[in-house]
Amino acid sequence: MTEFTRRRLLTGAAAAAAAAPFAAGLSARAAAPPAGAQAPGFYRYKVGSFEVTVVTDGVNRFKLPDDFVANAKKEEVNAALAAAHMEQDVFVGPYNPIVVNTGQKLVVIDTGTGEAAFTASKGANGQFLANLAAAGIDAKAVDAVIISHFHGDHVNGLLKADNSLAFPNAEVLVPAGELKFWMDDGEMSRAPKGRMEGLFKNNRRVFAGEVMKRLRTYEGGKEVVSGITAVGTHGHSASHNSHIVASGASKVYVQADVTHVPFLFARNPGWHAFYDQDPAMAEATRRKVYDMLVAEKMLVQGFHYPFPSLAYVEKSGTGYREIAVPWNPTI
Amino acid sequence: MTKLTRRAVLAGATAAALSPLAASRTLHAAAPAAGKQAPGFYRYKVGQFECISVNDGARTFPMPEGFVRNVPREQALAAAEAAYMPKGMVTVPFNPQIINTGSKLVLIDAGFGPTPNAPIGLLTANMAAAGIDPKAIDIVVISHLHPDHTNGIKTAEGALVFPNAEIKVPAQDWAFWMSDENMAKANNDMMKGYFANTRKVYAGLADKVTKYDWGKEVTPGITALEAAGHTPGHTAFAVASGSARVLVQSDVTNIPELFLRHPDWHVAFDVDPQKAAETRHKFYDMAAAEKALVVGFHFTFPSIGYVEKDGAGYRLVPAAWNPTL
Repeated sequence: MTEFTRRRLLTGAAAAAAAAPFAAGLSARAAAPPAGAQAPGFYRYKVGSFEVTVVTDGVNRFKLPDDFVANAKKEEVNAALAAAHMEQDVFVGPYNPIVVNTGQKLVVIDTGTGEAAFTASKGANGQFLANLAAAGIDAKAVDAVIISHFHGDHVNGLLKADNSLAFPNAEVLVPAGELKFWMDDGEMSRAPKGRMEGLFKNNRRVFAGEVMKRLRTYEGGKEVVSGITAVGTHGHSASHNSHIVASGASKVYVQADVTHVPFLFARNPGWHAFYDQDPAMAEATRRKVYDMLVAEKMLVQGFHYPFPSLAYVEKSGTGYREIAVPWNPTI
Repeated sequence: MTKLTRRAVLAGATAAALSPLAASRTLHAAAPAAGKQAPGFYRYKVGQFECISVNDGARTFPMPEGFVRNVPREQALAAAEAAYMPKGMVTVPFNPQIINTGSKLVLIDAGFGPTPNAPIGLLTANMAAAGIDPKAIDIVVISHLHPDHTNGIKTAEGALVFPNAEIKVPAQDWAFWMSDENMAKANNDMMKGYFANTRKVYAGLADKVTKYDWGKEVTPGITALEAAGHTPGHTAFAVASGSARVLVQSDVTNIPELFLRHPDWHVAFDVDPQKAAETRHKFYDMAAAEKALVVGFHFTFPSIGYVEKDGAGYRLVPAAWNPTL
């Protein structure tokens, strides 16, 4: 049988490259032009009678900072990236908001990096509104936007590039503790320079004007919208919340940022991402939530999981492993 | 947490529907459910080549006795359940690939073709969603002559779906399935069905079909690799451009949840299961060692991943969806 060797394959490629101009000359007509763009990023699934649409906002791709994980060496992080077959020294973090149609309400959970980010990131992220339109969902038809926590990749999509409302007919539902923390002048004055200071400024930019007129706060443990219940999962941010979407006997745990990317932080739940505000509390929350997901075999929807970001979770070694749900071509 | 029962939800929905008062309190009616999945296509680059994984659908069916020939059904079902398949069931997806080499638009495997009232035969609909006209396909390369790979070359009426394409089939598979002597020896319904199907699909096409050999390029950049066992002429492909390449494994494994985890399990459809298992080990030992990107016809869409050794078997690590290209 033909040997599956690298040398043989590369030889084939080289031969192809050498033969290509000749082959092109023989072709009957011009080849079809490449499309040069990815398929629209949305995926639907049912939770009981609810229809959920995962709508990707894209990814953020940047050089891996030395202190990306506060309590692990860069070599260890690179080793985890290699184990996940990802590029060394580069971090690729996906953003995946969802839309839940409960039959009575059309609800967005988290909003992505915002339309303005599309240009700034050269199209890598800020895709939410474009993919929402591709999914046939009218932003004006959205009744409620639920925010899990006040980080830019979750709240900036409340506003369009021109600072008008992305969802003009929607109530904006936010964790009471998040609003209190980020709007507190004392907390802001004590915030470390750099990232935290920037977050305070950003939240005061976003949570102003028309957004505030539509704002309503919610508490963990309570139903936010009929069928969608908030769960306090603090640590990553002062009053970070996850959400359980439930209909009939079905439910999905919409974890927000209980872990950031699973290939680093589900695999290594003890690792503290530099995004975590209270790393020890975030870790305790992470272990508690993931032990529950494993025990209950509950579906998890992860904001920073690779699209379509829907998975089951299993224990694996000293951490957890996500098993992506197979793409269902029908729903 | 608040207990939500289906009854409560339905009661709520009914109440909302019946109550003009409730409706008048909301600004607008609830948006209708879409009820339809996103189009099943996904683009990826291999060097200069633009490739598209195009979903032909997936079948979920009660696992028949003998689906895995050499282990008891309970054991195979336990593996399916461990992979979160619905109890008692098995799901098999189907994913042809389109490779735009810049000089040729190549389709590798053609799916089931039109299949009314079934969640399969979606290739041309998903190609349309991807903006690919079947008339623009230059070459259809068939990995082996099983219905889920080959029937999609014809419409229900028997016309060619890709009228401008050269159809390339593995020489060894053509010789096997077109042999009257082999057909006479077929001793079970499955094999008899495969022989009959091949003759039906290729009726009137004998002059149009080109046979290809292993170890050679079917078109510049796409090399046919011997991967016999599943069928006598079963073929995998290396798609290479510049220093990049992917391995299109065709059916070296059927669904990875069963046959990568357990490479010595024999799927019912193998013509020579022992040889198929040997091919599988050899192919995946190489793919794991080289950390090769592998495309699997029966992997879940978009059907692209890496394979690593795990105990006595292998594990598929799906490649992360890239929202840009």
